[in-house]
Parts: sequence; structure tokens; C-alpha cells
Amino acid sequence: MLSALRREDEGGRIPETWRLSTDGRELLFDAFARFALGLVLLFALFPIWMMVMNSFKSRSQVMTENPTLIPTEFHVSNYFEMWQRFPLLDYFLNSLIIASVTTVVTILIASLAAYAFSRYDFPGKGKLELSILGTQMIPGVLILLPMYLLFINIQMQIGIPMKDTYHGLIFLYSTFTIPFAIWMLRGYFDTIPKALGEAARIDGCTRLGALFRVVMPLAAPGIAATSMFVFLLAFNEVLFASVLGSDTVTPFAIGIQEFQTQTQTYWGQMMAASTVATIPLLFLFVLFQKPIVSGLTSGSVKH
Amino acid sequence: MLERAKSGFTRAIPNWVQVRIPRLGDDTRFAYKLLLPAFLMMGIIHFLPIIWGFYISFVQLDASYVSNWWNAPIVGFENYAKIFNPNTIVGAEFWTSLRQTLIFTVGSVIGIYTLGLGTALLLNRDFRGKLAARTLVLVPWIAPAVVTVLTWQMMFRTDTGMINHILRSVGLIDGSFFWLIGPRSIFAITAVWTWQNFPWAAIMLYAGLQSIPEHLYEAAETDGAGRWGKFRYITMPQLKPVSVVIVLLMVVWTLINFTVPYVLLGASPSDSGKVLMLFIYNYAFSNWSFGLGAAMSTVLFIVAMILAYIYYTRVIGGEFEGGAI
Repeated sequence: MLSALRREDEGGRIPETWRLSTDGRELLFDAFARFALGLVLLFALFPIWMMVMNSFKSRSQVMTENPTLIPTEFHVSNYFEMWQRFPLLDYFLNSLIIASVTTVVTILIASLAAYAFSRYDFPGKGKLELSILGTQMIPGVLILLPMYLLFINIQMQIGIPMKDTYHGLIFLYSTFTIPFAIWMLRGYFDTIPKALGEAARIDGCTRLGALFRVVMPLAAPGIAATSMFVFLLAFNEVLFASVLGSDTVTPFAIGIQEFQTQTQTYWGQMMAASTVATIPLLFLFVLFQKPIVSGLTSGSVKH
Repeated sequence: MLERAKSGFTRAIPNWVQVRIPRLGDDTRFAYKLLLPAFLMMGIIHFLPIIWGFYISFVQLDASYVSNWWNAPIVGFENYAKIFNPNTIVGAEFWTSLRQTLIFTVGSVIGIYTLGLGTALLLNRDFRGKLAARTLVLVPWIAPAVVTVLTWQMMFRTDTGMINHILRSVGLIDGSFFWLIGPRSIFAITAVWTWQNFPWAAIMLYAGLQSIPEHLYEAAETDGAGRWGKFRYITMPQLKPVSVVIVLLMVVWTLINFTVPYVLLGASPSDSGKVLMLFIYNYAFSNWSFGLGAAMSTVLFIVAMILAYIYYTRVIGGEFEGGAI
């Protein structure tokens, strides 16, 4: 309506000259912006592309001075041969077990704490929140040294093996991820109206019941996003795993480096294994990307 | 019920002891109970080891004391004196490492922030496939770090790597550069770390951009501000709070990052790539001098804590309350 009026009003007059020129500049700027964004995306995705493409290359295609962006000939043999060099499948399973259990433990414990931070006021709340944030600033090596001593000494004095065990790593990783998960979950819980939990209590739910039956189901996308991050953190961990997680529990993140031997590196197979590890995660990310992005950006400044 | 429990408790204590039992509400006690498991675990894995690590930094703990660490001789500040004295072997390496860490951190944070800001501005426009672009930009941050760093290692190879190949074909270099050995290794880890983290900065800044009220831009337009004027006087000031968060967190996370240098350069890199985390790791576990390792870790921790404190007081403490996000 308004625009129609304006067009009529303009009639035959010619403000067109300046309008054209601004439009032209706008168009040019737009083209430039698209091009720049294309460059950024190229930079972001190039390594992933190279990873996938190299997984289809034969050895001679990888070891050439003129590497190609697309294999001149697609080979799938890497995907079959990679399992035979060393127990890669075991490494995958180890990581899967460690990361999954870590995720479950973390989400359980962290949602309790996140619920407390989100719903209740209590003395010392600010200080406890600060200490949670503080844990993210601790250099891993500072913890690693005493942890090494603790694990060795538990083993020697009490007799419970801790080093190179699933439960040892799970215990470590859960604790590393809990602060982060509390922070993230709290942001999601904050978005759920308090009234819902209160209504559940009036209907005879216990306080814990209100959390598990009302708040957590409503925060399910957020919990899924947090779970993915926790899983990813546990899956990626290298520092502690390299010292405390060898032998029968070697996780994928450490094991994959065995493609590098003293004499040569099996790049094709390594990239095939990398592709297998990456694709499911990217798929999950696309699935949960909305809560992931909102979780990333909320709670970081404001609370 | 609560009353009874309290009186029962006080009765057990002789009258002359003045006990003050804080009167905690039902909800408060419930909140503490909810927090208990998390803080118990964090106590064992975070707070206790810090104190323990602090203690280790004052003793001479080598391989022979691993199973009876409490017998290790206390040497006071000797470990600290050694690492800060550039005339000892470890001291000289520590200072080099400190310098390289600083270069790595400053370079990465500048790269991550500028690239992140550019990406956020580009994403904050109307175009088709915006959601797809936002998703794809985040991929470096989501993909498992170990495998992406290994991929970079493959691309950084000297004779057969993609990066040298590209540089050769556009005529920027002649022959082949060593990226992972020698003085360029610092550049390699900076590039990979920047690649991995700029998406995070971009998404944070993008959220910040989205929350800038439209009327500010309209007002600026009425005042005759152009594209640059709007960016300079509206966008940047509005993004300041989230920028402070990004820079501070990124500085700390870069300081304490281990995966990128370790996977890209291996456990014993050239001096150029020997950042503190890697150096400490090597020193503690290859030379088995936990005391020196702990002293260096403590220094790193204190630096991180000072930065974290600034972060807390300036950002959370209220200066930027109600900021961009």
C-alpha cells in the first residue's frame, strides 16, 4: 500500500540517477561479500575435503609432488585395509565406550548441579559458579602430574587398578566435562519457565521428579547438544590418554597415530579412519545444530 | 522435622560450645545436595590436584619417588629458581618456550578474532543459504580435533604436501618449505589453531550482531552515517562485551592447548614450536622431573588465573552487564 503510493507519487520524476548508483554500489558490495564468504567457507572446509579425498587415494597418489584435489582414480581399499594394521576397531570401541559412559555420567551429575544453579538461590552461589568457570582455566599438565601419582599410588596402596582402565579414564573425563556441561545445561534450563516445575510440584511431584519428569524432557534438545559436546571432548582428549590410557584401553585419538610408523605414514588409511570418525559427528551436528548454536552463544556473558 | 533434627544436634554438644547453625531453608539444602556430586568429583580431580601440584613444585620429585612421592626431598623455591634462571638448561628452554607461547597466543588470538569478526559480519546479511553457510562455517570446530590436525599435518608435508604444492603453483615459493620442522613450526600450529577456533568466535560475534537493536542503525543512518560509520560507531561498541569474552577465553585456551602442537608437531618439536604445554609435558614425562614440570605448570596456571580474574571482574562482575549477548 505504502510502496504503491510512493511509486505513484514519484510518477515520472527522476530520482533514479542516485537510486541506480546506490543500487549499483549495493550490488557490488553484495557480490564482494558473497565472494568473501565463499573464501571463508573454502578455508574452513578445505582440510575436510582433503581428508575425505585422500582417503580414496592410493599410496602413489598420496605420495606425489603434484597432489590432486580429487583422486585421479578412486580407491576404496583404504577402508578395508586400515583395520588390519593394528586393532583400530578396538580403539574405536574403546573411545566409544569411554566417551559414551562419560557422557551419561556427566549429563546426570551436571544436570543436577545446573538445575540447582538455574532454580535456586543459596549462599555462596556466585563463588561456586566462579569456581566452575575457573576449572576451565587450569592447564591440563598441572592436573596430570598429581593424577599420575594418584593413579599409581591407588594401584599400589589400595590395589585398585586406575591407570590404563576404562573407569580411570571415565572418571577423569567426566570431571573435566562436568563444569562445561553445567554451564551449558544451565543456559537451557533457564529458558524453561519456572512455573512448569512448580505446577508439577503442586501435582505431587517431588523436587527431583520435577527435574527429571518436567524440566529435563523439555530441555531435551539442549541436553542432546550438550551430550554431543561432552562426547566430542572425551573423544578428542589426547593429553591424559597419552599418559594414563594405553594398552587395552587405548582410545582412537591416540591409536590413530599408529598409522605413523618410524619408516612411513599410511596417509590413505589414516584419512579413511579419520573420515569414519568425522562423518557421524558432523551428521549429529547438523541434526542438533539449532540447540548447539544457541547453547554456544547463551550463558557465556549473561546468566 | 528440621527443628527436631537441629535440637538433637545441639543437645549433643556441650553448652559452653557456642555453635551457630546456619538456618538453611529446605530449598537451600536441596540445592546443595544437587551440587554435591559435581563438586565432590571436581574436588578430587580439580581442586585437590592443584594443591598437590603446587606442593610437587616445591619438591625434587623424579622417577624414583613416583610410588612414594611423600618422601621426595623438599627443596623450597629451587625449582622456580631453576626455571626462571636463563643460565640453567631448563631455564634457557623455559624462556624460549615462554616466548614461543606468547607468539603463538598473540598470533592465534588476533587471527581468530579478526577472521571470526569478518565471518560474523558476512553471515549477518540476508542471502539464500544462510543457515547452510552458518552450519558449514562451524565444521572445523565440530570435527574431531585429532583427525583434522592430522589432516593438516598431511597438507603441511614438505615435498608431497598440498600447501607447498599450492604455493609452488601460484609462484609464491620455489622448491619446498619445511612447515613442521624448524622455525616455521610456530606458524603451522598458529594456522591450525586459528582454523579450528575462528568458527567459535564467528558464532559468538554473529549472536552479538543479531542482538544489536535495529533502531541504532536507523538513527545512525538519519545522522548520515555510511557503512563504515555504522560499523565504527554502532557495531564495534555494541560488540565490545562479547569481544572481551572471546579474546580473554581464547587467550587462556590457547595458553593451555595441548592437542594441536602435540598432534601436529609430535612430542619433541623444534624450539620454534615448543610451546609451554608441550615443553612441560616433555620435561615431566621424558625426563621424569615432576618437580620442575609442576613448577612450570604452576606458573602457567597463575598466568591463566590472572587472565581469568580479569575476565571475571570485567565481564561477569558487571561492567558489561546486559551486554551484547
